[in-house]
Amino acid sequence: MSGGVVDIGYVELFAASALMLVAGLVSWKLELGQTRRIAVSSVRCFVQLLAAGFLLTYLFEFQTWWLVGLVLAGMVIAATQIATSRVKNRIPGLVPSVFVSLLVSSTAIGFIVVEGVIHADPWFNARQVVPIVGMIMGNAMSSVAVAIDRLFSDMDARANEMFSLVALGASPGEAAAPSLKAAIGAGMTPVLANMSAAGIVTFPGMMTGQLLAGADPVAAAKYQIVVMLMLSAANTVAIVMASYLTYRKRFSPDGYYLDKGLRG
Amino acid sequence: MPLFSVEHLSVSYSRDGQAVPLLNDVGLELEAGSVYDLVGPSGAGKSTLLRACALMMERSSGELYLDGVPSSSFKPSEWRRRVCLVPQQASLVAGTVRDNLRLPWTLKVNAGERPPADEALARMLALAELADVELGRDVSQLSGGQAARVALLRAFATRPPVMLLDEVDAALDDESACAIGRLTKALVDERTTCLRIRHRAADGFASGSFELRDGRLAYADAAIAADGASCAEGFDPADYAALQDLASERPAAVGEGERP
Repeated sequence: MSGGVVDIGYVELFAASALMLVAGLVSWKLELGQTRRIAVSSVRCFVQLLAAGFLLTYLFEFQTWWLVGLVLAGMVIAATQIATSRVKNRIPGLVPSVFVSLLVSSTAIGFIVVEGVIHADPWFNARQVVPIVGMIMGNAMSSVAVAIDRLFSDMDARANEMFSLVALGASPGEAAAPSLKAAIGAGMTPVLANMSAAGIVTFPGMMTGQLLAGADPVAAAKYQIVVMLMLSAANTVAIVMASYLTYRKRFSPDGYYLDKGLRG
Repeated sequence: MPLFSVEHLSVSYSRDGQAVPLLNDVGLELEAGSVYDLVGPSGAGKSTLLRACALMMERSSGELYLDGVPSSSFKPSEWRRRVCLVPQQASLVAGTVRDNLRLPWTLKVNAGERPPADEALARMLALAELADVELGRDVSQLSGGQAARVALLRAFATRPPVMLLDEVDAALDDESACAIGRLTKALVDERTTCLRIRHRAADGFASGSFELRDGRLAYADAAIAADGASCAEGFDPADYAALQDLASERPAAVGEGERP
């Protein structure tokens, strides 16, 4: 497969970064206040991706199951950190819940795909495991952040309604049910929208990559279908887990909602 | 034995990380068949007291009893099914009036019980002077006062033995507030009691009032003065015979109910 890839020279690579200069110059001239962010993001993208390239080269050559496991663990930790930092609400015990949700959803679905659909050889082959799990986790991470944020702002907005429900004898789960529904729906929207637009509006990243690498378009399409289905499956698992693991944290042990006045 | 009693209740809340006492060793007893008022200056902790009675607030100390049975031997949701707090803010769920009145029967705590029939619900609406509100009307089309009364009826329909009303008549005009007073009185029978926070002039239905001030509670029997007690004038419980339809909604008596 790698035979079809056009290798970009380092001269061309640095030349491409001149494109970033345009964005930087515009921001600086118009005093948009984004110059620093543009610079930092560009450098991060540059450094992180190149480092990942070298790391994967090493990993592909000397892979063992525990080394692959170590890389996956590092990815889950980073994804947890990024997802939780995007959540604006302050929620106690959010990190462990998000960690577990991302770990379970990404590794379970990832390995089902790698072993059952792609038939990796050896079973922990980093060339398949790392990009597949990474793709799943990147998606799940964004969706979890959206879902959790929505869950807690929706519960705050429904604080009075939930108070009435609990006063009538509702359990926390019953009181929170509409918010859980809304949050899970909100988290699933992007991936479902992507699935509907795929092939018409957008060519998803992975298919694009394979086409650029010279793969047969139908083979690339089949691969992409598998990827999108697994993304939506993993997304659902991650969002549902994260929502159900966290909503109870805003209820007291006696089952009433801790509205803003009670959080102390 | 009082139907509902509170002993040595203390509640504090945290402000800037420090515990500030709000209620200090408060006790009260509510007899079956009576309505009580809870009065006191704003910020004295009246709503907090009701919340604590419904297990919706952390207590620093104190025990609550329903028919002599301590709250600790109930599941919190089972307790709230029986000691029902109706908050000041009427919050109805999206849907029709019928959806809202039947909402309590969608909860696990009432599993296995049948919601009241439409006729019973309609009669209840009429008693709350909401006869012109159809069960199928969407709640977004109700006025504030109508919504407040529907929220109140939703709690009444489950026939809780103890009703805690947090200024439910605040949003109502005088006539509607009187209607709520009459309905409350009619619902309070030999197996029911009611404690209500009110800021209006006495309506003649309360047999006593508790005054909360500086974290302490003082009780006074209702004055037998007839001043302004006009709501009670001409009140005849027989007019509310339709409420008998709801008698079957009572939760199982204490002792028969589900206990953990």
